[in-house]
Amino acid sequence: MIPTQYYLLLSAAVFCIGIFGVLTRRNALIFLMSVELILNAANINLVAFSFQYGNLSGQVFALFAMGLAAAEVAVGLGIVLVLYRNFSDIDVTEATTMRW
Amino acid sequence: MVAVAALLAVTLLGAIATFLVDDRYAAKFATAVSTIPLVGSVWMYYVYLTEYQGVGNALLSPDTVAFRQTIDWIELGGYTIQYSVGLDGVSMPLLALTGILTTLALVSSWTPIDERQSQFYGLMLLMEVSLIGVFSALDFFFWFVFWEGVLIPMYLLIGVWGGPRRKYAAIKFFVYTNVASLVMFVGFFTLVFSLGDSIATLGLPEITQALVAGEMGSLAGIAVADLKLLAFVLMFVGFAVKVPVFPLHTWLPDAHVEAPTPVSVMLAGVLLKMGTYALLRFNFTMLSDVATGSVLAIMPVAIAVIGVFSVIYGALLALAQRDLKRIVAYSSISSMGYVILGLVAFTPHGMGGATFQMISHGLISGLMFMAVGVIYNETHTRMVGDMSGLADRMPWTVGIFVSAAFGYMGLPLMSGFAAEVFIFLGSFGATDTLGTLAPVLTSIAMFGIVIVAGYLLWAMQRTLFGGYELETDYELDGAAFHDVAPLAVLLLLVILLGVAPDLSYGMIQEAVNPILEIGGGV
Amino acid sequence: MTAFDYAPAIALLPFVSFLVALFGGQYLPKKGALAGIAATAGSLVLSAWVALTVAGGQTYNEALYTFTAGLETFDLHLGILIDPLTALMLLIVSFIALLVHVFSLGYMNDEGETGLPRYYAGLGLFTASMLGFVYADNILMAFMFFELVGLCSYLLIGFNFREAGPPSAAKKAFLVTRFGDYFFLIGVVGIFVTFAGATQTPGLFAGEGSFPVVAEHAIVDGATEGLNTFGFEPQTWFTILGLLVLGGVMGKSAQFPLHTWLPDAMEGPTPVSALIHAATMVAAGVYLVARMYGFYALTPTTLAVIALVGGFTALFAATMGVVKQELKQVLAYSTISQYGYMMLALGSGGYIAAVFHLTTHAVFKALLFLGAGAVIIAMHHEENMWEMGGLKDKMPVTYYTFLAGSLALAGIVPFAGFWSKDEVLYEALIHGFGTEGGLGTVFLVAYAMGLLAVFFTGFYTFRMVYLTFHGEARTETAKKPHGVRWNVKGPLAVLGILATTIGFVNLAPVKKLTGLEVDFLHKWLLGAEGSGWEALLTGYEHYEHVLHDGPAHVLVGEPLGATGTLIASALLSLGLAVAGVLAARSLYKVPEPVEHTDKLGSIKTLLMHNYYQDEYQVWLATGFTYPLSRAADKFDQGVIDGVVNGISSVSLFSGSRVRRLQTGVVTNYALFITIALVVLLVVFGLTGGWF
Repeated sequence: MIPTQYYLLLSAAVFCIGIFGVLTRRNALIFLMSVELILNAANINLVAFSFQYGNLSGQVFALFAMGLAAAEVAVGLGIVLVLYRNFSDIDVTEATTMRW
Repeated sequence: MVAVAALLAVTLLGAIATFLVDDRYAAKFATAVSTIPLVGSVWMYYVYLTEYQGVGNALLSPDTVAFRQTIDWIELGGYTIQYSVGLDGVSMPLLALTGILTTLALVSSWTPIDERQSQFYGLMLLMEVSLIGVFSALDFFFWFVFWEGVLIPMYLLIGVWGGPRRKYAAIKFFVYTNVASLVMFVGFFTLVFSLGDSIATLGLPEITQALVAGEMGSLAGIAVADLKLLAFVLMFVGFAVKVPVFPLHTWLPDAHVEAPTPVSVMLAGVLLKMGTYALLRFNFTMLSDVATGSVLAIMPVAIAVIGVFSVIYGALLALAQRDLKRIVAYSSISSMGYVILGLVAFTPHGMGGATFQMISHGLISGLMFMAVGVIYNETHTRMVGDMSGLADRMPWTVGIFVSAAFGYMGLPLMSGFAAEVFIFLGSFGATDTLGTLAPVLTSIAMFGIVIVAGYLLWAMQRTLFGGYELETDYELDGAAFHDVAPLAVLLLLVILLGVAPDLSYGMIQEAVNPILEIGGGV
Repeated sequence: MTAFDYAPAIALLPFVSFLVALFGGQYLPKKGALAGIAATAGSLVLSAWVALTVAGGQTYNEALYTFTAGLETFDLHLGILIDPLTALMLLIVSFIALLVHVFSLGYMNDEGETGLPRYYAGLGLFTASMLGFVYADNILMAFMFFELVGLCSYLLIGFNFREAGPPSAAKKAFLVTRFGDYFFLIGVVGIFVTFAGATQTPGLFAGEGSFPVVAEHAIVDGATEGLNTFGFEPQTWFTILGLLVLGGVMGKSAQFPLHTWLPDAMEGPTPVSALIHAATMVAAGVYLVARMYGFYALTPTTLAVIALVGGFTALFAATMGVVKQELKQVLAYSTISQYGYMMLALGSGGYIAAVFHLTTHAVFKALLFLGAGAVIIAMHHEENMWEMGGLKDKMPVTYYTFLAGSLALAGIVPFAGFWSKDEVLYEALIHGFGTEGGLGTVFLVAYAMGLLAVFFTGFYTFRMVYLTFHGEARTETAKKPHGVRWNVKGPLAVLGILATTIGFVNLAPVKKLTGLEVDFLHKWLLGAEGSGWEALLTGYEHYEHVLHDGPAHVLVGEPLGATGTLIASALLSLGLAVAGVLAARSLYKVPEPVEHTDKLGSIKTLLMHNYYQDEYQVWLATGFTYPLSRAADKFDQGVIDGVVNGISSVSLFSGSRVRRLQTGVVTNYALFITIALVVLLVVFGLTGGWF
């Protein structure tokens, strides 16, 4: 029996990696992957707590989140394509025409 | 009685239809449509005069109010929102004023408005809908919707058809009055929440009666008296912007100068009265104990000082202006100061006179703006120095202008005199609220009648009399009949009310006297 | 039906003629003149009928139209009060108005003036307002018509609006009188508020329950119940109220220091000047004091002020009349001076003398103005007396009537002015000697000023006569004057006869000397025994009682005995008048008169500038009020609106700075989110006690 804290530590680590990726990388694809990491960190939490409390709704929720993530990737990749088409690059810091 | 509902519905449908009508026919169409609320409101006025006796005040005796109709609508936050309308001696004349002035303003738009007519006339009618609603609604929710609903057409009317600085003026007007509404809103809901469970609706009569019955409880640890004071001050500030009262008046001259003539007529004639009407309803009826100084003794004197200062200050500002429209705009501030003084006096003649002054000033200032508009249509200038001797070329217009100016100065047998005398009679002896300052403040306010004579006579001497000269390159070909006719109608109304003030003053007294009975009772 | 049932028509007839002339004048043969003549003639007939009824011992005091029915407060109404004073004044006003209308046919129609419907409409409204004022039964109605009179003066003085002068003069006339009316209005409001608690009809002039009577009860009997005197002693407060109302009187009756509008008002057509000066606007002020004399008689301070203002104005205006070059200017200053006499009489307890002088003055001043109008027609609208001369032989009717008017004005026996002015001075003198304390001294000082003014009056009047009619014609126009027709000569002749004879209505000195009952006006104003008038308490008998027994204690003192004082006073004033006339004769009755005013040195400058009264009043308007308003405007635009615009600038500025956070770089947004998350965690941690 692995204690719940370990799962939480894993989740926190994955979350931090994701945040790090979002904050430091400029490539849109790596961005997208980092976002997936953050999302999965949340999923780990859901499953871990579900396991601890013996309640299945957390696990069901995680399944929904995965489905949602898949849909999100589809939209995200679409955005990346449009980004490339408009700026000939997928560097997210280039696309600042919508500011003030 | 569905009279008010019919009035609202017909005017609203007419407004929508006007938007759809081709520009060429919009003016005549809208004018024709506006005769329905005109005839309707005047008919209601007549019915009121002949059939309703002892109506009393709409907020204090809601069961006897004329043309009353109440329908439950929705539940909102524990309160039942009602469609609730009714008219008493304060709102009835104002409703009739709205009907009359709108039609006349529409007729006076025929000449100056030459683009986007259908939208212009549609917005004017839309504004009339809201104005009818403001003066007849007895439920706060509905009242507030109409109250804000007036701003949008007004904003567009100034912003689209206005003069060179129209955008500045329109935004200033909108933001200023909207912020004021917010302040007032906070004040009002302070009252509503502190009344707690004792009210089930947002009906103004119910809230008033709960307040009079002393149902108010403390809120968030603040004592009842402080809550009342807070609510009073917030609402006073909110409404004072609309009146406007010094120092919250600076949107007015800009809005007036930039607005096209008919819009100025509505702005000065009816919109300013919304402020004083609301002051009378909310501050001086619901919170009459605060207004009479039983919570904070200095309150009535402070308000009176603001009113008196507005009178003198507005008159002095008018004296300094060169633009005819600015002169009339600033003099409105002066005239509305009298209303404040009359209200705060809290005597039969003071409050009645203040209400009468709302009607009277609505007619006279509308007349003045229209007259300035006719001159502007002909000369294409409003600057005092740019013209002289107009009496030579447009005798009838000038004749009416001079009569209107004398009406403004308070010439006897015109409505302004009656209103001012009532107010002075009321406030001079208002020692209960103003103490020994009552005669002093009244005497100072009276000096306004000298300054107003000064600037109007001076302006007339320079523009209307002397040898004929015009700086702009336009030929005066005399104003059209439909330009002058509204002026004549208004002038006749001013004289009618001046000779027989009891046409309105009787019902006004019936409506304001009950307020005096509850004043100061906590 | 009695005459009183038709009384409203006295004012309504001229009002109808106003409407007819305004809207139909263009289509009428004489442009509305005939309607005016018919209406004023009708008013005159009705006034005469009313006067006859009053002579029969009846009076009238009724509320006719409720202006507003007060709910839980007092009513305001329009009503009619007719007592002998009213009846007399109605006669005067409608009579003068009729003559002015007839004269206008010659002055305006025959001279081919334009805008005649407007002119006759103005005359009609003027007459109607004045008549309404005269029989007003309460002080609010009086104020209302008082203001309407002001409006009409504005319209008529500014009749020739195409020139620069008349609109300016009209504005000045209205503004200066408005300034006085400001105080009057405070007084009116104050009277209503003061007496509202004590009587149902606080504004009424006459009868039990009217404010003078209630005030009298308060002071004499100490019945102050219900009175609201704002914490003052009743007498102090009534003095204040009286002085406030007096402000309106001083404005309309052109008393110092509010007299400055009147000379400028000469810009109006001459018949209008006649109407304003003789019977309507200027008379309104003095009439008002007479109307509420019961109130004024109660307070010694107001009496003193009235007497002093009157005496001073009489002298002050007379000195300015001495140097004027224009015919109408001389007459204007003489008007101010003569109304000063009336005020002097009212202040010093000579109620009848004042009314008497009001009557005679109405006749001879109308005559002089119409005569001046005839001269102006003849001179092709030249008004400078130095351009005239020698008109005596060319226009005899005008000359002899004008001479009659001048003799009356100068106060030469037996012309009308002598009798009335003599009585004014005599009353001031005996009351001055009789009354104890400061009030008596004030009366004597006022008397002295009035007496001195007699000399100047004689001088300037005959300077005017000699310069205009005697000597050689000094210009071409004066050699060939324009003729005048019946419509000018007719009114002149009527007035000329009256100016000679009207003094005989009140030969009070003759009665005292011989015992003949010839003081008809005295009897008229005293009220017949047992007539309905006593209840109104506006008779002289009542006033006398108030003057004697009230706080003023005005008593009669005759240092030289009854006959001696009378004769001494008459001789003194007559002697001074004759001296003035002779002085003028010696200086100006020469073939080629010259201006002797240069000998006055710097005084001449002072007089020509009217003691710089205009200057300081103009300064008050343009040098003080206008800069003040400019400063207020700057303050408003700068500070008040500056704050408003400042708030919007601050919002705009801070917005323009804060929006830079919106960099458009997604990474930055993510950073904000992360930082916010950390901050939230720390905050929750600290407050939640995790650490």
